[in-house]
Amino acid sequence: MTVRIRFFARFRELLGTDIVVAVPKNKGLSDLIKDVASRNKDGYDAIFDEKGAFREFVILMQNGRRLETSDAPEIKVADGDEIAVFPPVAGG
Amino acid sequence: MIAIQTGDVDIGKLINQAKQRGTGAIVVFDGIVRNDDIREMELEAYEEVALPELEKIATEAKKTHHLLSVDIIHRIGRLAVGENILIIVVSAGHRKQAYEGSRYIIETIKAGVPIWKKELTKDGGRWVPGEHQHGCGAGK
Repeated sequence: MTVRIRFFARFRELLGTDIVVAVPKNKGLSDLIKDVASRNKDGYDAIFDEKGAFREFVILMQNGRRLETSDAPEIKVADGDEIAVFPPVAGG
Repeated sequence: MIAIQTGDVDIGKLINQAKQRGTGAIVVFDGIVRNDDIREMELEAYEEVALPELEKIATEAKKTHHLLSVDIIHRIGRLAVGENILIIVVSAGHRKQAYEGSRYIIETIKAGVPIWKKELTKDGGRWVPGEHQHGCGAGK
Protein backbone atom coordinates (compact mmCIF):
# COMPACT_ATOMS: atom_id res chain seq x y z
CA MET A 1 0.00 0.00 0.00
CA THR A 2 1.10 3.60 -0.46
CA VAL A 3 0.92 6.63 1.82
CA ARG A 4 1.59 10.27 0.96
CA ILE A 5 3.58 12.38 3.40
CA ARG A 6 3.55 16.16 3.26
CA PHE A 7 5.96 18.30 5.25
CA PHE A 8 5.43 22.04 5.51
CA ALA A 9 7.47 25.17 6.28
CA ARG A 10 10.86 24.42 7.90
CA PHE A 11 10.24 20.67 7.74
CA ARG A 12 9.56 20.93 3.99
CA GLU A 13 12.82 22.76 3.44
CA LEU A 14 14.72 19.97 5.18
CA LEU A 15 12.81 16.91 3.97
CA GLY A 16 10.85 17.84 0.85
CA THR A 17 7.12 17.37 0.42
CA ASP A 18 4.63 15.20 -1.43
CA ILE A 19 6.59 12.05 -0.66
CA VAL A 20 4.80 8.89 -1.66
CA VAL A 21 6.09 5.79 0.10
CA ALA A 22 5.22 2.12 -0.15
CA VAL A 23 4.55 0.75 3.33
CA PRO A 24 3.61 -2.68 4.69
CA LYS A 25 0.19 -3.26 6.24
CA ASN A 26 -0.19 -2.21 9.88
CA LYS A 27 2.71 0.23 9.69
CA GLY A 28 2.67 2.61 12.66
CA LEU A 29 2.43 6.33 12.00
CA SER A 30 5.43 7.25 14.18
CA ASP A 31 7.65 4.62 12.57
CA LEU A 32 6.63 5.76 9.10
CA ILE A 33 7.52 9.39 9.80
CA LYS A 34 10.79 8.34 11.42
CA ASP A 35 11.72 6.27 8.37
CA VAL A 36 11.07 9.14 5.99
CA ALA A 37 12.66 11.81 8.22
CA SER A 38 15.80 9.67 8.61
CA ARG A 39 16.73 10.65 5.06
CA ASN A 40 18.05 13.94 6.43
CA LYS A 41 19.59 14.26 9.91
CA ASP A 42 18.64 17.91 10.35
CA GLY A 43 15.09 17.08 9.28
CA TYR A 44 14.88 14.18 11.72
CA ASP A 45 16.30 16.28 14.56
CA ALA A 46 13.80 19.06 13.83
CA ILE A 47 10.89 16.66 14.37
CA PHE A 48 12.18 14.15 16.95
CA ASP A 49 14.08 14.60 20.18
CA GLU A 50 17.10 12.57 21.27
CA LYS A 51 14.81 9.84 22.66
CA GLY A 52 12.96 9.49 19.36
CA ALA A 53 9.78 11.17 20.62
CA PHE A 54 8.00 13.89 18.67
CA ARG A 55 9.15 17.33 19.72
CA GLU A 56 6.51 19.12 21.75
CA PHE A 57 5.61 21.65 19.05
CA VAL A 58 5.19 19.21 16.14
CA ILE A 59 1.68 19.00 14.65
CA LEU A 60 0.40 15.91 12.84
CA MET A 61 -2.59 15.39 10.57
CA GLN A 62 -3.98 12.22 9.07
CA ASN A 63 -6.26 12.95 6.10
CA GLY A 64 -6.76 16.53 7.26
CA ARG A 65 -7.59 15.69 10.89
CA ARG A 66 -5.29 16.71 13.70
CA LEU A 67 -3.78 13.99 15.86
CA GLU A 68 -2.09 14.08 19.24
CA THR A 69 1.58 13.19 18.71
CA SER A 70 1.38 11.05 21.86
CA ASP A 71 -1.18 8.83 20.08
CA ALA A 72 0.93 8.47 16.94
CA PRO A 73 2.86 5.32 17.97
CA GLU A 74 -0.43 3.41 18.29
CA ILE A 75 -2.02 4.70 15.08
CA LYS A 76 -1.74 2.57 11.94
CA VAL A 77 -1.70 4.08 8.50
CA ALA A 78 -4.00 2.88 5.72
CA ASP A 79 -3.63 2.69 1.96
CA GLY A 80 -4.06 6.14 0.39
CA ASP A 81 -3.62 8.07 3.65
CA GLU A 82 -2.22 11.59 3.53
CA ILE A 83 -0.04 12.41 6.52
CA ALA A 84 0.96 16.02 7.18
CA VAL A 85 3.77 17.04 9.54
CA PHE A 86 4.37 20.68 10.36
CA PRO A 87 5.59 23.21 12.93
CA PRO A 88 3.30 25.71 14.73
CA VAL A 89 1.24 27.79 12.34
CA ALA A 90 1.84 31.51 11.82
CA GLY A 91 -0.81 32.78 9.44
CA GLY A 92 -2.57 36.12 9.55
CA MET B 1 -15.51 35.31 -0.71
CA ILE B 2 -13.21 32.97 1.16
CA ALA B 3 -9.93 32.40 -0.63
CA ILE B 4 -6.26 31.55 -0.40
CA GLN B 5 -4.54 33.10 -3.38
CA THR B 6 -1.34 34.68 -4.64
CA GLY B 7 -2.96 37.80 -6.08
CA ASP B 8 -4.15 40.91 -4.28
CA VAL B 9 -7.78 41.87 -3.89
CA ASP B 10 -9.82 45.02 -4.42
CA ILE B 11 -10.78 45.95 -0.86
CA GLY B 12 -13.06 48.77 -2.01
CA LYS B 13 -15.08 46.30 -4.07
CA LEU B 14 -15.37 43.93 -1.09
CA ILE B 15 -16.65 46.79 1.08
CA ASN B 16 -19.29 47.72 -1.50
CA GLN B 17 -20.41 44.11 -1.80
CA ALA B 18 -20.61 43.82 2.00
CA LYS B 19 -23.20 46.61 2.17
CA GLN B 20 -26.32 44.54 2.41
CA ARG B 21 -29.81 45.30 3.59
CA GLY B 22 -29.57 45.82 7.33
CA THR B 23 -25.86 46.70 7.33
CA GLY B 24 -24.98 49.32 9.92
CA ALA B 25 -21.23 48.70 10.21
CA ILE B 26 -18.39 47.23 8.21
CA VAL B 27 -15.02 46.39 9.76
CA VAL B 28 -11.98 45.81 7.56
CA PHE B 29 -8.86 44.07 8.87
CA ASP B 30 -5.85 44.37 6.58
CA GLY B 31 -2.71 42.53 7.71
CA ILE B 32 0.35 43.96 5.95
CA VAL B 33 3.97 42.89 5.46
CA ARG B 34 5.80 45.02 8.04
CA ASN B 35 9.26 46.40 7.36
CA ASP B 36 11.19 44.50 10.03
CA ASP B 37 14.42 44.89 8.09
CA ILE B 38 13.30 42.26 5.60
CA ARG B 39 13.39 42.07 1.80
CA GLU B 40 10.23 40.06 1.29
CA MET B 41 7.93 37.62 3.02
CA GLU B 42 7.14 34.14 1.77
CA LEU B 43 3.85 32.53 2.74
CA GLU B 44 2.95 28.88 2.51
CA ALA B 45 -0.34 27.08 3.21
CA TYR B 46 -1.65 23.55 3.48
CA GLU B 47 -4.42 24.68 1.18
CA GLU B 48 -6.56 21.54 1.20
CA VAL B 49 -6.97 21.97 4.96
CA ALA B 50 -6.60 25.73 5.39
CA LEU B 51 -9.39 26.72 2.99
CA PRO B 52 -12.10 24.57 4.62
CA GLU B 53 -10.91 25.85 8.00
CA LEU B 54 -11.32 29.47 6.85
CA GLU B 55 -14.82 28.61 5.61
CA LYS B 56 -15.66 27.03 8.96
CA ILE B 57 -14.36 30.10 10.84
CA ALA B 58 -16.48 32.39 8.64
CA THR B 59 -19.61 30.30 9.26
CA GLU B 60 -18.97 30.23 13.01
CA ALA B 61 -18.31 33.99 13.12
CA LYS B 62 -21.54 34.72 11.24
CA LYS B 63 -23.54 32.59 13.62
CA THR B 64 -21.93 33.68 16.87
CA HIS B 65 -21.55 37.40 16.13
CA HIS B 66 -24.63 37.85 13.93
CA LEU B 67 -22.60 39.00 10.93
CA LEU B 68 -24.36 39.66 7.65
CA SER B 69 -21.34 38.88 5.48
CA VAL B 70 -17.75 37.70 5.84
CA ASP B 71 -14.89 37.85 3.34
CA ILE B 72 -11.51 36.32 4.15
CA ILE B 73 -8.67 36.45 1.64
CA HIS B 74 -5.31 35.06 2.75
CA ARG B 75 -2.46 35.53 0.33
CA ILE B 76 0.41 33.11 -0.22
CA GLY B 77 3.63 33.26 -2.22
CA ARG B 78 6.21 36.04 -2.10
CA LEU B 79 5.03 39.43 -0.89
CA ALA B 80 6.94 42.70 -0.66
CA VAL B 81 6.98 45.06 2.32
CA GLY B 82 3.71 46.98 2.39
CA GLU B 83 1.68 44.36 0.54
CA ASN B 84 -1.56 42.93 1.92
CA ILE B 85 -1.29 39.50 3.56
CA LEU B 86 -4.75 38.96 4.98
CA ILE B 87 -7.93 40.87 4.31
CA ILE B 88 -11.03 40.32 6.44
CA VAL B 89 -14.20 42.27 5.67
CA VAL B 90 -17.24 41.77 7.87
CA SER B 91 -20.60 43.51 7.87
CA ALA B 92 -23.13 43.57 10.67
CA GLY B 93 -26.11 45.52 11.90
CA HIS B 94 -24.06 47.24 14.62
CA ARG B 95 -20.41 48.13 15.26
CA LYS B 96 -20.04 45.89 18.32
CA GLN B 97 -20.93 42.77 16.33
CA ALA B 98 -18.68 43.80 13.46
CA TYR B 99 -15.64 44.54 15.68
CA GLU B 100 -16.07 41.40 17.76
CA GLY B 101 -16.68 39.20 14.73
CA SER B 102 -13.60 40.54 12.96
CA ARG B 103 -11.48 40.01 16.06
CA TYR B 104 -12.77 36.46 16.46
CA ILE B 105 -11.83 35.65 12.86
CA ILE B 106 -8.24 36.96 12.99
CA GLU B 107 -7.49 35.38 16.37
CA THR B 108 -8.91 32.01 15.28
CA ILE B 109 -6.89 32.06 12.08
CA LYS B 110 -3.71 32.78 14.03
CA ALA B 111 -4.46 30.00 16.49
CA GLY B 112 -4.75 27.11 14.12
CA VAL B 113 -5.07 27.50 10.36
CA PRO B 114 -2.09 25.78 8.67
CA ILE B 115 -0.35 28.76 7.10
CA TRP B 116 3.28 29.78 7.66
CA LYS B 117 5.36 32.89 7.04
CA LYS B 118 9.05 33.20 6.33
CA GLU B 119 10.80 36.55 6.50
CA LEU B 120 13.43 36.83 3.79
CA THR B 121 16.35 38.98 4.88
CA LYS B 122 19.65 39.96 3.29
CA ASP B 123 21.29 37.19 5.33
CA GLY B 124 18.82 34.46 4.38
CA GLY B 125 15.50 33.85 6.01
CA ARG B 126 13.70 33.08 9.28
CA TRP B 127 10.38 31.34 9.85
CA VAL B 128 7.98 33.42 11.92
CA PRO B 129 7.20 31.56 15.16
CA GLY B 130 3.52 30.91 15.78
CA GLU B 131 1.78 32.66 18.65
CA HIS B 132 0.14 29.36 19.62
CA GLN B 133 2.81 26.72 20.02
CA HIS B 134 0.49 23.73 19.75
CA GLY B 135 -1.52 25.06 16.82
CA CYS B 136 -4.68 23.58 18.28
CA GLY B 137 -7.13 26.28 17.32
CA ALA B 138 -9.57 26.17 14.48
CA GLY B 139 -10.83 23.07 12.82
CA LYS B 140 -9.63 20.62 15.38
